Amino acid sequence: MAGIHIEHVTKSYGQLTVLKDFSLDIADGEFVVFVGPSGCGKSTMLKILAGLEEATSGTIRIGGRDVTDLAPGDRDIAMVFQNYALYPHLTVRKNMGFGLKMRGTDSAEIDRRVTEAAKILGVDHLLDRRPKALSGGQRQRVALGRAIVREPQAFLMDEPLSNLDAKLRVHTRAEISALHKRLGVTTIYVTHDQIEAMTMADRIVIMRDGIIQQIANPDTMFRKPANLFVAGFIGSPGMNFFKATVAPGQGSAMVRLFGQNVPLQAPTGLSGREVVVGLRPEHIVAGEGPVTFAVTPRLVESLGSEKYIYVDVPPENRVEVAHTGGDDRRADTIIARLINPEERAGSGPLTLSFDPARLHLFDAQTHIAI
Amino acid sequence: MKRSLLHSTFLYVAVILVCALLVFPIYWLFITAISPPDQLRVLPPRFWPEIPRWNVFGDVMSDRPILLWLGNSALAALGSVLLSMTVSVLAGYSLSRFRVRGGQSLGLFILTAKMLPATLLVIPLFGIFRTLDLIGSLWSIVLAHATLIIPFTTWMLKGYFDTIPRELEQAAMVDGCSPLGAMVRVILPVSAPGLAATALYGFVLSWSDYAYARTFLTNAQTNWTANLGITTMKGEYISNWGDISAASILVALPVLLIYLFLERYLVGGLTAGAEK
Ligand SMILES: Nc1ncnc2c1ncn2[C@@H]1O[C@H](COP(=O)(O)OP(=O)(O)OP(=O)(O)O)[C@@H](O)[C@H]1O
Ligand SMILES: [Mg+2]
Repeated sequence: MAGIHIEHVTKSYGQLTVLKDFSLDIADGEFVVFVGPSGCGKSTMLKILAGLEEATSGTIRIGGRDVTDLAPGDRDIAMVFQNYALYPHLTVRKNMGFGLKMRGTDSAEIDRRVTEAAKILGVDHLLDRRPKALSGGQRQRVALGRAIVREPQAFLMDEPLSNLDAKLRVHTRAEISALHKRLGVTTIYVTHDQIEAMTMADRIVIMRDGIIQQIANPDTMFRKPANLFVAGFIGSPGMNFFKATVAPGQGSAMVRLFGQNVPLQAPTGLSGREVVVGLRPEHIVAGEGPVTFAVTPRLVESLGSEKYIYVDVPPENRVEVAHTGGDDRRADTIIARLINPEERAGSGPLTLSFDPARLHLFDAQTHIAI
Repeated sequence: MKRSLLHSTFLYVAVILVCALLVFPIYWLFITAISPPDQLRVLPPRFWPEIPRWNVFGDVMSDRPILLWLGNSALAALGSVLLSMTVSVLAGYSLSRFRVRGGQSLGLFILTAKMLPATLLVIPLFGIFRTLDLIGSLWSIVLAHATLIIPFTTWMLKGYFDTIPRELEQAAMVDGCSPLGAMVRVILPVSAPGLAATALYGFVLSWSDYAYARTFLTNAQTNWTANLGITTMKGEYISNWGDISAASILVALPVLLIYLFLERYLVGGLTAGAEK
């Protein structure tokens, strides 16, 4: 077990720069999740850590040792691949023992560790099968098993759950978390699923176009997104955005939303600034509140325990910035997420409200949180 | 029900026709071998001789050094396959895995070499082998056959390696293999069907060669390959077609046996690229 230190790593393929000055300190035993949209460089960073790709510049230290120029096999890390990459010609037992055998561990010891790991993962009855005779979930466990028998300094996992069906994914997610608690091995986990990131991570690293957007624990990520991208990426459905201009009000600054003056907990010095105001769907509630507005829903989706109310945004509040959470929402609609709603909620005109303290403010030009 | 009966009848008739077309020459070769010489040119042709000459195979083997010729053919084929596979496994793997400057055009160049007719290369090769003092030696056809086999097998193996996910050797490297170790311990075993199919292709190509053997080996009787040997049985005035046919069957037999033996792997090998 060891901490991992990534210092100023960049990676270019010819003209294309896919990682820009990536620096990150990971503590011993920490579970860090890299998350971001497709193509943002998550896998590339993981492969550089594994030694499968060479960084264009920068340094990698694992457990205080500079491994930047070491071969993958000399870094003492284990990797779990998205497609599992089990050796099809070897039995489960040999698959799991392969790494130990390559390191010259004696066969009795290999056998002991493989058996133990297989028990932990519940695949001990499959040890003599070939990978092709396993289900997707079983293959996934064997791939995890191959990583844990090595007892490496760190685990690198590249979207290990994305080939499983939804139910198995939730189940295995919990199992990987439990496994991490039990073994305490430093883990870097790549996903583009923000729910996986939120539920598993000690810390989340959100990336976009090869640049780290924010490094924080899941709570902070949700409560204090560093910029518009993070705000839109974390949370489901994603945060609602409004365009507004800050105006001086009585005692505090204010913005106009839904034709009303909404006071802000922000310094009056902001006056005149163009901002994007963010409000999470779950912070809009039914009934009266500090800021109340009446709407006629465009659409209502019911999930049983909650309802998504789609509401038109007044033209002056519509934002041009693309929504970043992956769901391409229309700029002229916001969503209110009502938890345990009344059955009739949404069938006609509706009163909604929110607390201005819940509002997030972002600079309209730089997209950075204010 | 009626339609499906019609359908399957049609299918069977078609299959039988195709088989008959393919098998008839072999059958005729066999009949020619076991018929007495005077019955070979009768009209209407006879489809089974009255008194089959079963001993023709034994006779032809004692008359001619067929076993020696077969041995030479086998040596040449094994040698050229071994050489070709060594080269083309490494070349095909590199073409499949490494982005080399000009790799694409190199691949095309190899493909072009494959399109040249073998006879075009006979004369330059003769010149080279004479300089190297290899004329009459089995090495000449080992090398000559390799020049035919390597372009094709390299291309075939590159295609096969392309279907194997890169993560496999990446996993092996994380597990502690060197790049070459990953190839030997993981990629080659996984490619076994492809390797078998490719090697067999090379073997048959070498085994069935006549032009090169005729050019390089004619003056070295002890090094004659089976195909070369058989053609010497054809006389200027008299040809004993029965004996020639019997010898031909003996030459075809080994390849047939190998095919039967490897069939299971071959089918796997030939379809492996079809589904990822
Ligand atoms: N060998 C390569 N040559 C050129 N460009 C590459 C190469 N490998 C990756 N890239 C590019 O680098 C960028 C980052 O790729 P990467 O695989 O790291 O994305 P990712 O974040 O893992 O995405 P995903 O979620 O889709 O897996 C992409 O734009 C990709 O096209
Ligand atoms: Mg990826």
